[in-house]
Amino acid sequence: METDSARESGEEENGFTQPEIGDDDIDNVAEDFRDGLGLLSPKEKTMEERRNGTLDSDNDSDDNSRIRTVDENGNADDSSRIEVEEGQSDSSRIEVEEGQSDSSRIEVEEGQADSNRQIAEFSSENNNFVEGHKEISEAREHLEDDFSEQEIEVEAPTSPSSSGYAGGRGSSSAASIGSASGSEEIRDALRSGDGVTECFGNGNGEHRGQASWAHGKRYSNEDETSISWRKRKKHFFVLSHSGKPIYSRYGDEHKLAGFSATLQAIVSFVENGGDHIKLVRAGNHQIIFLVKGPIYLVCISCTEEPFQALKGQLELLYDQMLLILTKSIDKCFEKNSKFDMTPLLGGTDVVFSSLIHAFSWNPATYLHAYTCLPLRHSTRQAAGAILQDVADSGVLFAILMCRHKVISLFGAQKAILHPDDMLLLSNFVLSSESFRTSESFSPICLPQFNPMAFLYAYVQYLGVDTYLMLLTTDSDSFFHLKECRIRIENVLVKSNVLSEVQRSMLDGCLRVEDLPGDPTLPSDSLSFRLRRDKNLQVAGSSTGTGRNTGIGGPAGLWHFMYRSNYLDQYVASEFSPPINSRNAQKRLFRAYQKLHTSMHDKDVGPHKMQYRKDENYVLLCWITQEFELYAAFDPLAEKSSAITVCNRVCQWLRDVESEIFLLEASPLSW
Amino acid sequence: MATTGTNNMQAKLVLLGDMGTGKSSLVLRFVKGQFLDYQESTIGAAFFSQTLAVNEVTVKFEIWDTAGQERYHSLAPMYYRGAAAAIIVYDITNSDSFVRAKNWVLELQKQGNPNLVMALAGNKADVAAKRKVEAEEAETYAKENGLFFMETSAKTAQNVNELFYEIARRLPKARPVQQPAGMVLTDRPAERARTYSCCS
Repeated sequence: METDSARESGEEENGFTQPEIGDDDIDNVAEDFRDGLGLLSPKEKTMEERRNGTLDSDNDSDDNSRIRTVDENGNADDSSRIEVEEGQSDSSRIEVEEGQSDSSRIEVEEGQADSNRQIAEFSSENNNFVEGHKEISEAREHLEDDFSEQEIEVEAPTSPSSSGYAGGRGSSSAASIGSASGSEEIRDALRSGDGVTECFGNGNGEHRGQASWAHGKRYSNEDETSISWRKRKKHFFVLSHSGKPIYSRYGDEHKLAGFSATLQAIVSFVENGGDHIKLVRAGNHQIIFLVKGPIYLVCISCTEEPFQALKGQLELLYDQMLLILTKSIDKCFEKNSKFDMTPLLGGTDVVFSSLIHAFSWNPATYLHAYTCLPLRHSTRQAAGAILQDVADSGVLFAILMCRHKVISLFGAQKAILHPDDMLLLSNFVLSSESFRTSESFSPICLPQFNPMAFLYAYVQYLGVDTYLMLLTTDSDSFFHLKECRIRIENVLVKSNVLSEVQRSMLDGCLRVEDLPGDPTLPSDSLSFRLRRDKNLQVAGSSTGTGRNTGIGGPAGLWHFMYRSNYLDQYVASEFSPPINSRNAQKRLFRAYQKLHTSMHDKDVGPHKMQYRKDENYVLLCWITQEFELYAAFDPLAEKSSAITVCNRVCQWLRDVESEIFLLEASPLSW
Repeated sequence: MATTGTNNMQAKLVLLGDMGTGKSSLVLRFVKGQFLDYQESTIGAAFFSQTLAVNEVTVKFEIWDTAGQERYHSLAPMYYRGAAAAIIVYDITNSDSFVRAKNWVLELQKQGNPNLVMALAGNKADVAAKRKVEAEEAETYAKENGLFFMETSAKTAQNVNELFYEIARRLPKARPVQQPAGMVLTDRPAERARTYSCCS
């Protein structure tokens, strides 16, 4: 039952959208690939230090891990596959591609429980991978249950702090029964209510439906003494430098005053030593600190997300706060260091919880790019023209969006809108129900644009999910903006943009099944359009149609995500089977996130290419000057065919770029 | 005044009050006839318009439903500047909100617009069982300060339309001396001028 609810608890939408296409020469791509591999930096320690010998089993898994070098003839590919199929793999392995043993990098799976391997065997016997896959997940759920129960029994206060944030996951016990990272991930996925944890029925499971964040603060009756509170997988806290709580993801801030004070004490203790605290690892938990002047942000997580990713999330959380209050809030603390900020944030819980939710589904949170709604080029141009028209009349930014996807936007001359600001602004508008009831005029701050000053946002919904935001510096221009909106709305209605938007929402984005076959044929965007027509016919029957038999796209392509570095936009394919459960989607999201972090790791990178293989997928990441491509394949996918498919994806995206990207967005930053 | 030829007037109306007192609910009840048990916090200010016919005069209310959160307090002048009427809302089950309401009245009085029609609304009259602010107390306060007072319930619609009608009735008397007080909104001065001519 717990697992059921965990499964339901996924995200609201697959939030993946589109980036843009680079100018890569197809013919050279394969070569680039090899070059890229050649340039892979020496052995990256994918194995996280998280275990740090704190647990017995950690050492075990280190011992069990081994590095395999795959040489160029591809034999190793086969053998690695055999391992998966036959379940002979030792508890960990590192795959090295293209025989560059020294430039290795890639995946470590640590001490999987034996049972997991048996499951893998089982699936290969079955010869039906999809079924096998499902069974794997089911079996994992059992595993998971077991772990949970054990955790209950052995929950030991390994508290990193005096107020007893007891390493809620009972990590040591779980690890000692042989569940290292693999099972962590599983557990993670199983609970995926965006990290909402309660593992074993504390009765709240049913609240974790998709829109659960939409009701503002949850579990406000919890405090640091509640077991359920300690069991949460991912906490976010904001506090002032005097230790006053400002925000907590779970529980009532005021009840957490003692806990806040403890966090503050940790920060100031380290600062007194002339240093700055960044990270504490305690068992499975990471405690990340971010100090922003008088405001401290802390994340306590056992989700195994990389430190850099979690730190980025704290940065966004802080910027979201600035969007509401501006950085001039610091002055309040200068005047009165005991200043209580909570009243100023009254009613904004929902904004933060929705942002934190986005950390587990929206790639924009780490790609720092936005995504566009797929539209015919002419449609987008029509929308852009009228937005430009009003932008010339004293509007700083005119942004037309549908949910988190951009339809079109335009900025006044020299005004640059940062993708992070767009993410936070759309999160602010989407999460606040009151914008839907009427036209609104509200002060907001765009932290990347100017963290000190308010802009004024006129917001009006033009359809169920379509909304227009007009930003200005003039607090008296409401009626002017209202006129602008009426003009824009008239044009959009007349030119059918709004109905096109509705259709596009129904159609969804690119699908891996539609990847054109042969890139050498003179290709146009036909397939994309054809797919749309096809979709119209099967509209409504989202899954279960004949063509989605669970094999994904060509060569076992399951999903891809592409970020255009020139446009600061990304595009992601729709989730196709077998990535159709919330858990699977979230697991993939986290895998991409990890991949992204390791590719951009400043210590050992940046890298150009990475090929990872584990029991869930083959992941391929490829970064050039123009783009970043992330792709997930069937775990049995051949490396060479995966590379071919990636080239085809790039070609395909280039063919349809005018539909999936906003190409005229000149005022954007790059 | 209102009896003369032109019988259209436009009036800016602003709702002020602590968060959670039911400003948005009052407006939604008046404009759309709706009531939501769980009304989300307003962000910034929401704009509505609604037309009423009173004594052969059509009054078009431009209603600013402001957010009650403290962070928006400093922005309130933006919304009440040039207003013809203000409704100050408190929650009869919350005495703090009544204190806040008095502060709003003070602030508006300091604004120095003597012709501003001010209404004091004690909302949530449907939960009188939890009452913390006595009607008499509010009534006395209102009289002393030249406001008119009503207890309302957005939930049951009690006194909601009456409140707005009463404001509309009082408006024309206040109009002739009304100052445009620094409004620079493009489309309004013309309307306003027309109103003066009809009322003077």
